[in-house]
Amino acid sequence: MKDSNEPIIHIENIHKRFGRIHALRGVSLQIQKGEVLVIVGPSGSGKSTLLRCINQLEECTSGKIIVDGIHLDSAQNINAVRQEIGMVFQSFNLFAHLTVMDNLLLAQKVVRRRKKEEAREIALNLLKKVGIPEKANAYPYHLSGGQQQRVAIARALAMNPRIMLFDEPTSALDPEMIKEVLDVMLALAKEGMTMVVVSHEMGFARAATNRIIFMDEGQIIEEAPPDILFTSPKHERTKLFLSKVLQL
Amino acid sequence: MFTRREPKIDEQELTHIPGAEPQNRLDAWWWLVALVAGVIVLLSLLQPDPYWRIILFVRDGIAITVVITVVSFILMLFVGMLGGLGRISKNRVVNLIATLYVELVRGVPLLVQLIWWYFAFPVVIQQIGKWTHISALANFHANAILLAIFGFVFCYGAYMSEIFRAGIQSIPKGQMEAARSLGMSYFQAMRHIVLPQAIRVILPPVGNEFIALLKDSSLVSAVALADLTRRGREFMSANFNPIEVWTMIALLYLVMTLFAARIVNYIERRTKFER
Repeated sequence: MKDSNEPIIHIENIHKRFGRIHALRGVSLQIQKGEVLVIVGPSGSGKSTLLRCINQLEECTSGKIIVDGIHLDSAQNINAVRQEIGMVFQSFNLFAHLTVMDNLLLAQKVVRRRKKEEAREIALNLLKKVGIPEKANAYPYHLSGGQQQRVAIARALAMNPRIMLFDEPTSALDPEMIKEVLDVMLALAKEGMTMVVVSHEMGFARAATNRIIFMDEGQIIEEAPPDILFTSPKHERTKLFLSKVLQL
Repeated sequence: MFTRREPKIDEQELTHIPGAEPQNRLDAWWWLVALVAGVIVLLSLLQPDPYWRIILFVRDGIAITVVITVVSFILMLFVGMLGGLGRISKNRVVNLIATLYVELVRGVPLLVQLIWWYFAFPVVIQQIGKWTHISALANFHANAILLAIFGFVFCYGAYMSEIFRAGIQSIPKGQMEAARSLGMSYFQAMRHIVLPQAIRVILPPVGNEFIALLKDSSLVSAVALADLTRRGREFMSANFNPIEVWTMIALLYLVMTLFAARIVNYIERRTKFER
């Protein structure tokens, strides 16, 4: 039995080097079940790398990551851990040769080994949830960016993940499409999904979380509730970054 | 007298988007295939001697050429896929073997390779058999067609590996990452996500390889295989009519390659997709 107070994600002093680039310099972080954590920071600050380390798309150079009680470095089958972690990418990454429905069905079939009817039902319900059941038989290139991203969220949810990671989910979207994606994410947060979100959407951060992290140069500089971080940050670097972001 | 006419809108005109022609329409270049085939038929009808005699004489050669080409091609697809996966493998040993294979094979002329497999390889096996006292190996005599097919698969497989490698690498990395993040294994992601998309990319160069192979199959005439080219040479040495023989042989190759090119083109258009 797992201790209910144990954080679902436990990160301890992780470092990541890409050759000579030191992308993460000793990051420690704990995320509780049902919590929404938003990470902001300038490009190249290591926030995406941190996210990708959590589901092992990147292997960290040193340090410890425990997800749901499983040490990622000792995990015999990394795929088993990945099944519990959904990921949404900046560039959607829908499978280009498959219809929306097949995008949602494939991993359910080959990874979860669900029966076809069961998988279909789950997929249809999720498409309804993200508001585009009528696009089930469309191909990704027929969808707008916002619709593609909502399908990508549904695809990740179809695996019944315990954690959802969002890597700048709205950065590649036209402004009028950002809201439809954020609404889906907000609904998910309200349902109690554990979420780690890299995003500069201040409105989303305010509505979805009371914990926001500012990263720069591979380190966590500051952690605070959004209202405090956005209005009266403690560190100079945070102030400088926010002054650039907020004046837009 | 001026009569007012309803403006007539040509629907075809409106919906015509370049590159989006109906896919089932017969390709216009089929007429060239028909033309060459027509010339062959006409020559055989108008002058059965020597043209029809040539065709009768070389038809078993045509069969050998087609069999070698088709069988080699199917096998080299598998070699190419394995080689391509090996070339992008992060496993150093696998990567080294695949790279070594590709680099070595590409550096030796195909004709020399075919001759080596035909004349040197059996002797190598026999020597090994003598040293190890295994009589099955010492008395090794391989079928000429099998050796030729092996030679083609070995050589073309290397070029095919490079085509597969390039095709796989042309698929955005995000596709693999998305598949992995859903819990798929590397091979599941390859099989269900990357390869189906890569196939469409590599179809044109793979089709070209097929046509190149069809022509290169004439090289087996150098290793005592009675393919189309060799049968042509045999007919000529008996009848001394080089113009008629080699014109007919050229036409027969031409009609086969043109036909293959149309088939490749047809498959290409059927599998095209947008991203």
